[in-house]
Amino acid sequence: MTEASTQASTTGNDWEPKIVAFCCNWCSYAGADLAGTSRIQYPPNARIIRVNCTGRIDPDFILAALEMGADGVLVSGCHPGDCHYTSGNLKMQARWTILRKAIEQAGINPRRIRLQWASASEAQIFADGVTLLTEQVKKLGPLRGQWR
Amino acid sequence: MTEDETPRIGVFVCHCGHNIAGTVDVARVAAEAGKLPNVVFSTDEMFMCADSGQDLIRTKIKEHSLNRVVVASCSPRMHEPTFRRVVEEGGLNRYVYEQVNLREHVSWCHMHEPEAATEKAIDLVRMSVARARRLEPLPISRVKVIPRTLVVGGGIAGLRAALDIADRGFEVVLVEKKPNLGGNVIKWTHMYPDDRTGAEVVNPLIAQALSHPKIKVYTDSQVVDFEGYIGNFDVTIASNDGKKKSTAQVGAVIVATGFEPFKPEGYYGYGKSPDIMTLAELQEMPRKDELLRPSDGKPVKKIAFIGCVGSREPGKKGHEHCSRYCCTAVAKDAAELRDRVDEVLVLYQDVRTYGHGHEEIHRLARQRRVIFSKFEPDEKPEVSVKRGKITMRWRDVLADDLLEFQPDLLILASAMIPPADVEETATMFSLTRSGDGFFNPEHIKLAPLTTHTAGIMIAGVAQAAKNASESVIDASGAAAKAAALLARGEVEIESTVSRVDPDLCSSCHTCVTACPYGAISMDDSHEPPVAVVTEAKCHGCGTCAAGCPSGAITMLHSTDEQILSMVEALLVPSPISGGE
Repeated sequence: MTEASTQASTTGNDWEPKIVAFCCNWCSYAGADLAGTSRIQYPPNARIIRVNCTGRIDPDFILAALEMGADGVLVSGCHPGDCHYTSGNLKMQARWTILRKAIEQAGINPRRIRLQWASASEAQIFADGVTLLTEQVKKLGPLRGQWR
Repeated sequence: MTEDETPRIGVFVCHCGHNIAGTVDVARVAAEAGKLPNVVFSTDEMFMCADSGQDLIRTKIKEHSLNRVVVASCSPRMHEPTFRRVVEEGGLNRYVYEQVNLREHVSWCHMHEPEAATEKAIDLVRMSVARARRLEPLPISRVKVIPRTLVVGGGIAGLRAALDIADRGFEVVLVEKKPNLGGNVIKWTHMYPDDRTGAEVVNPLIAQALSHPKIKVYTDSQVVDFEGYIGNFDVTIASNDGKKKSTAQVGAVIVATGFEPFKPEGYYGYGKSPDIMTLAELQEMPRKDELLRPSDGKPVKKIAFIGCVGSREPGKKGHEHCSRYCCTAVAKDAAELRDRVDEVLVLYQDVRTYGHGHEEIHRLARQRRVIFSKFEPDEKPEVSVKRGKITMRWRDVLADDLLEFQPDLLILASAMIPPADVEETATMFSLTRSGDGFFNPEHIKLAPLTTHTAGIMIAGVAQAAKNASESVIDASGAAAKAAALLARGEVEIESTVSRVDPDLCSSCHTCVTACPYGAISMDDSHEPPVAVVTEAKCHGCGTCAAGCPSGAITMLHSTDEQILSMVEALLVPSPISGGE
């Protein structure tokens, strides 16, 4: 991996982290919909990419996002046992363990990535996850330059 | 449209009245979209889902020879099917349509940050335009629908649904896990609004179902294996003793698995005296002229009810919902019993006798001098049992006074909760569950009887707590949905399946083990054997594509390139390529 070439908007006080959020269609994307319908307010930093299942998420997607300058990556799926495709979330969970290790070895604080389970009815859990990751990443500062 | 045809993208930004435009600067979003490469038309419009908005899309497709359409509006879970249809009417393939969620994911959750919300909206549109550029038309596959329906649950809802479908001339397989049909209703002695027993209500349905030539009934049995897709499901049914096993092929499924009455352990002395029981347990006592106390068989002189037991408890998972049947049921029983006892007391948080004819029952109870006393939700009545004597103490809200009552019989109107095996049912039929534990419909307002799994309907309390009449309404509705599917004879299925490139496959079997549906097998005619996908079995989760170490698997409509183009368009948008 090369150092990310992108420009984070600035590194001053007005810097806002950019977060890529991968959400599965059946639980977390719907949970995010419900957060909107329930008018739950949360930080506007995350950009959601809808995938059918968290099992669809290749760890490469997350590495690519970080390489391209995402300050944080959120993966949000169905609770274990609730996967619309029975077990895709468990596959993601298995990959996650290795991914965290790889990220750490690349010199990136693993607190920049977050895996969470939020069902279609857990709007608050989804919103809280975005808030938590945004705050966590804010403390860590822009990612640019942190690659080893 | 061919693969290498230059994309000509149209972007339509929806105001959704004030819903989006009240927070997001939609004109600016449309203007920014217009600057993106391959975008040949962009605009903002009051309501894209309205006829005028739909017309606009069709007109602009022709006018600008659009071959990709992006609508930035509400959640695709709401209107993706609508706009897919519109682009088809405009002459395009439905899979060249892409939706941006500016309402649920932007304007509604960043209401006080219009600037940041607009920036987010611009980013999301840029991401979707980048994806749209890489979208490809996919063939629309049709499959035959097997004209038979599986109904799971032989309660009042399942019976009604089965009969409705069978009366339309389609076969039904009805599976009930208990030895008898009739569900919860058959056990109850007093149904509202009239005064028939549950058996009187449901027995005619059972008799019809059992004698109907189109209905095959399996009692004391369960569905033990279920696979397939809309129109073509394979079902295995086994008797509970495991001795008999049969299979059936069905085109549609109605899940009507109902509820079980909550056993309120830890509430109001439940379990400490046989004279403290739930409303369901009272209903199951045989009908008699005289109400006798279970503890000593003496006639009951004073009876009390407590409402909302295990219902309407904010913060307590599975018990936050209103169970909806209990207020009227309590009013009904209180009014009935008033003539036979000296005093009837009802302690309530609120009285919600909302249905047709229900308020009249409430009024009747009050006319017969049933005492209604309101308590605060955070100051629940206290119940103690000493030497078999029940004592209730509570603060009456209206009198602001501490009161005491010693009933001979205390009835707890306990919640409707999902059956103990609800989780297995959810897994079996790929259903999701809401916060109260019941099954989620496809859309709470617009599609309350279908689910996110195509071909599977829900009816009755399986969806949410409700009374018997409402369950029957559901059942007839779900039956109509199923019959419509069967009558059509064939159905379009999702074309978003995975494909293996045999030249890239390294025969590692990773995808074979990753696929939850057994849709991938090894084709031995190659040397070495390569993976091959049975498309009809593929559900499109994409786990195989993510797991393939050789990059040999393409998940159609969710390709690596399509996903990564969104990431790139967000993070490294180039002014020339817009993220290419």
